[in-house]
Amino acid sequence: MSVTVESSQGLAAVSPPIKTVGVVGAGTMGSGIAVVTARAGYRTIVCDLDEKNLKRGLDTARSFLHKSMEKGKLPEEEGQAAIANLCGTTALAGLADADVVIEAVFEDLSLKQQLWSDLDAVVAPETLFHTNTSTLPVTGIAAGSKRPNRVVGTHYCNPAPLMKLVEVARGRYTDEDAYQRTSAFMKSLGKVTVTVKDRPGFIVNRFLIPWENNVIRALEAGLGTVESIDLAVVKALGHPMGPFRLLDIVGMDIHKEVAMRLYEQFRDPRFAPPPLVDRMIAAGDLGRKTGRGFYTYNDSRLFGA
Amino acid sequence: MSSYSQVAVLGYGTMGAGIAQVVAQSGRNVMVLETDQARIDSGRQRVTDFLDEGIRRGKVSTTHRDSVLSHIAETTDVAELAGCELVIEAVVEDYDLKAKLWSAVAAVVGSKAVLTTNTSALSVTQLASGVPDPGRFAGLHFFNPAPLMPLIEVVRALQTTPEVVAALHEFCVSLNKTPVEVKDRPGFLVNRLLMPYLNDVIDGYDSGLASAEDLDTALELGLGYRMGPMRLLDVIGLDTHHHATLSAYEQTLDPQYAPPPLLSRMVAGGYLGDKSGRGFRVGGGIEGRTR
Repeated sequence: MSVTVESSQGLAAVSPPIKTVGVVGAGTMGSGIAVVTARAGYRTIVCDLDEKNLKRGLDTARSFLHKSMEKGKLPEEEGQAAIANLCGTTALAGLADADVVIEAVFEDLSLKQQLWSDLDAVVAPETLFHTNTSTLPVTGIAAGSKRPNRVVGTHYCNPAPLMKLVEVARGRYTDEDAYQRTSAFMKSLGKVTVTVKDRPGFIVNRFLIPWENNVIRALEAGLGTVESIDLAVVKALGHPMGPFRLLDIVGMDIHKEVAMRLYEQFRDPRFAPPPLVDRMIAAGDLGRKTGRGFYTYNDSRLFGA
Repeated sequence: MSSYSQVAVLGYGTMGAGIAQVVAQSGRNVMVLETDQARIDSGRQRVTDFLDEGIRRGKVSTTHRDSVLSHIAETTDVAELAGCELVIEAVVEDYDLKAKLWSAVAAVVGSKAVLTTNTSALSVTQLASGVPDPGRFAGLHFFNPAPLMPLIEVVRALQTTPEVVAALHEFCVSLNKTPVEVKDRPGFLVNRLLMPYLNDVIDGYDSGLASAEDLDTALELGLGYRMGPMRLLDVIGLDTHHHATLSAYEQTLDPQYAPPPLLSRMVAGGYLGDKSGRGFRVGGGIEGRTR
């Protein structure tokens, strides 16, 4: 009598190992994520329907890798291998081989749903769908696919090649196999993951936005100046930079956008941007990128010169 | 050394001992007032232990330790505070107790002495109103542990004169600290910002958003914070945070200061953080029990 030994891996053993990664959206996050996956040894296909965007994204990724090699932070051989791993396409059909597709397109629910719906027809049934949304519901995005069980929220921090953290969020129908394979994949990228419920803003933005809004309200209430509040927070709480410095880097327009999206979902006034935010946006004081925010910057390069 | 060569510190608990050490390190003479010899002994032991730890880490010399200790004297007699030019009060956060103490001290130190309180929860303005010449009264809010934390909030009561604020600013600088001038409002500046954030994280944790460890990891790696909020709560002490945030809530009726129900229950159950060996991160946390 013979005994059949079954794989203890169960379903996971059925899925092929991940070799090819598709990244959809060649913007800041997409190109950054492409650096991460190419650097980890995965063949990485960047997809952007706009040829100009695609070229710019690939250029950004390659130039990041070149700079890492120049600075001695990445061995020449690995850097060249990473660059060789990168390629691009302007058609979703070009992602047919992908074992994981990481979506980093504009934060628009119906756009993301449509993307997964289209990709259902392109990739293999066990291909993992990762969405890099920061504020939209993973469950809602997953609803675009006929297989919502393979959709996982993987929220990278900006800049993705440098920031270790990825927030992993399961949608309502994400299955254990997809979650486990995602965790193993993240580990292979050298990322540290945290597991979070599919709730608006996950962890970082969920707690950062009300904090920043409160800091702005404290300024409006005259509890301190921009300088004294930044100084107090850095010295007393050990934050790497003061909240107003951070807002200037993030940009007031982006802060407002994220805050409003969380506010719309939570209906909690703590997430609503205080009136000063709108006034600064109206004045064009968006932060570093316009040379003026809470602080004034004299960095001419930021004016697009 | 700029000013205030004779400084009185009222109370020899964690904050009082830390403040006495910081002031003594600047070369000033410190007189600490306590209620009995046992408290004096334990306060002096705190300072000694803190400096000894510095010696173990190679950051403090024995000569320095001995010199700091030699600048600190203690008494149980208010009358011995006569001649002190600056008083820093760091007794338990109880208004009646502080008010009573201040009238006794104010009668001894003379009308020129500058009077400060290290309160973090009470109104500095209200305390100032109980002493003669309240223009010389202000808040001097140190952070724990005082010898290590660089920030001091200089709290302007409604009565505090600009001259006193300026003098205290200079005093803080002479302690090698960074002063920030703040209004007398609940939580002043730092705690006003910190408390809603900590409460928010506690509620997030209670709703099962993520584990305590993952919440800390996300905020440490995502925002570069030196210490995540769950760990920070364990270090601060859940009872201490509860007291502070409840006090701010009572003064503002602003729900973001209301102690989260889980916090109140953890305090009631003796989950106080590091000091009791059980909290959000220490002692295995409460994971698995709340969900």
